[in-house]
Amino acid sequence: MKYFVTIGGRTVIVELDGEIVRVDGCQVAAQLEHTPGTPEIRIAIDGVATTVAVDARDRTLWRLVDRGSVREVVVEDERTRQIRLLAGAGKAVDGHAVVKAPMPGLVLRLLVAVGDEVTAGMPLLALEAMKMENELKAIGSGRVTGVLVRAGQAVEKGQKLLELGPLGPAIPLA
Amino acid sequence: MTVPPRWRVLVANRGEIALRIMRACRDEGLETVAVYSDADRHAPFVRAADQAIRIGPPAPADSYLRIDALLAAAAESGADAVHPGYGFLSERAAFAQAVADAGLSFVGPSAAAIAAMGDKTSARRLMAAAGVPIVPGSADTLSDSDAAAAIAAGIGFPVLVKAVAGGGGKGMRVVRHPRELGAALTAASREAVKAFGDGRVYLEKYIERPRHVEIQILADHQRTIHVGERECSIQRRHQKLVEEAPSVAVTPALRERMGAAAIAAARAVGYRGAGTCEFLLGADGEFYFLEMNTRIQVEHPVTEAVYGVDLVREQLRIARGMPMSIPDGPVTPRGWAIECRITSEDPANGLLPSAGTITWIRAPAGPGVRWESGVESGSEVTLFYDSMLAKLIVHAADRPRAIDVMQRALAELVLVGVATNIPFHRRLLADLDFATGAIDIQFLERRADLLLPADDDATTTRLAIVAALLAEERRVSRRTGSPPVSTGDLNVARSAWRDTARRDALR
Repeated sequence: MKYFVTIGGRTVIVELDGEIVRVDGCQVAAQLEHTPGTPEIRIAIDGVATTVAVDARDRTLWRLVDRGSVREVVVEDERTRQIRLLAGAGKAVDGHAVVKAPMPGLVLRLLVAVGDEVTAGMPLLALEAMKMENELKAIGSGRVTGVLVRAGQAVEKGQKLLELGPLGPAIPLA
Repeated sequence: MTVPPRWRVLVANRGEIALRIMRACRDEGLETVAVYSDADRHAPFVRAADQAIRIGPPAPADSYLRIDALLAAAAESGADAVHPGYGFLSERAAFAQAVADAGLSFVGPSAAAIAAMGDKTSARRLMAAAGVPIVPGSADTLSDSDAAAAIAAGIGFPVLVKAVAGGGGKGMRVVRHPRELGAALTAASREAVKAFGDGRVYLEKYIERPRHVEIQILADHQRTIHVGERECSIQRRHQKLVEEAPSVAVTPALRERMGAAAIAAARAVGYRGAGTCEFLLGADGEFYFLEMNTRIQVEHPVTEAVYGVDLVREQLRIARGMPMSIPDGPVTPRGWAIECRITSEDPANGLLPSAGTITWIRAPAGPGVRWESGVESGSEVTLFYDSMLAKLIVHAADRPRAIDVMQRALAELVLVGVATNIPFHRRLLADLDFATGAIDIQFLERRADLLLPADDDATTTRLAIVAALLAEERRVSRRTGSPPVSTGDLNVARSAWRDTARRDALR
């Protein structure tokens, strides 16, 4: 399994291949041990052990406390990263954005309709790919201006799924 | 001597100092009463007390600063005495007076002594009259540059031109040579007009690279003694971060001179109890009175370590009319003590206070380590109060060893849930200038780098491995349907990764 770990703007590629750990291509000996009843982890890398504590985490964001420092760490596997990169490809949303299929798959559900207002992180569409269900999420706020697929439709990698546009000016109350 | 009555002491404070005082009360065989705001209902100091009384909402103005609520709590609990701790009402003469008027003992000096030291201008005059050295300067504002030149010559260069209405370095000029004085006066005055609408300036001796050195005082009804110095030069915006005792800059002879000056200062106001005279100590060994803190200090434990005394117990003894337990004669420091203030200030966010729930603390321990904390696992850190969570104090045979022990203790300390200044302490203690004791009150202005988060590739790599292994563990446990390894909460299953690691080790 290949993970892309981003800490303070730097991305490190960690490959876990059975028993082998490779960091940016270099093999290391790593051993991780939880301390029951605590958030503390003992991590030994090439024979040097330190304690790291796990604070909070969601799907990709982890907060590690290392020697008193609180470090935010983003961990993505290859698929998650690809989805993010592709979904984020049409970044705009301040302007216009097109959401494309990150991989070939089947549209399971449409979670938004034309005219819907979306905010960052809001799920837009559920796509089944490689027998896994993935939710494509909005990367910014905006309005859905076009839905180009329907539920049950098979899509190719890179196929346009949705169009997003900027939120229009607020309608004056008076 | 009559046996003093068994007292019930109300602690009009919160956090680590409230707990510290309650422990001293226990050690002295006294009962304790805690007062707490709604934010502190579950705080360790509340549980430590024999009685606990709610005094109001979280904001200090609605709770810990309310004299009426505190006195009502004292009456309700049947308290005999009030210990004010530090901060809050500890240096309000009106509070000491109100406590006395209610027929209770105030664990501290008289209201008159607090008032005399509280007004900084009149305190300076009082100290000058008592022969305590103060920073030489022009008593009044300067009328013209000729008068200024005469005064500057009397003080001796370098001098500092300061705005009467000043603050924040505005309207301030360092003048090193007489010929620069005229221009500096004009510039400072012009700047002061712009900043404060008041162009009046005065002169003060400029002290090169001063250290903050303070003398601990104890006074009972018979004796006034000093218990040596503490150096508190590691400050940020006048907030002390690291303190030590003794000071590398203080010789036994200087200690006696500064001690004598502090004793004179205390006697001048009829001081009783524990107090601290703060001085600026110049590179030339000259020292100048800044102010007297008429209460227990945050950093009192470093003195306790090297002098083998319990200052809070002495406060309680003195307040009960007993003599202090420190024998007569000169006192000598033994070894070296350092204190690091652990604050909830986020280095990654401009050192602004961080709030949240402390989900986990592992406090350091072992030889020479003292942990004074107002929080524990589960404590909520709010923005209502001071950002200091705890104090870590170490004591060792000498300064280099004390630094080593502090490094070890900081490495043992695990605190999860809020960002803290622990990384700053680790960098400071590893710093070469700090190691040699080449510090002064501007040290952290010059070395702002120590306050900022620092990153190295090795750390990034290490954390990347940790994160990848955790992510893999979660993926595997999900796939196999075994209970998820949730390190976020405290129910931690066995590491799925460990088995792999074990196989690794066998290879």
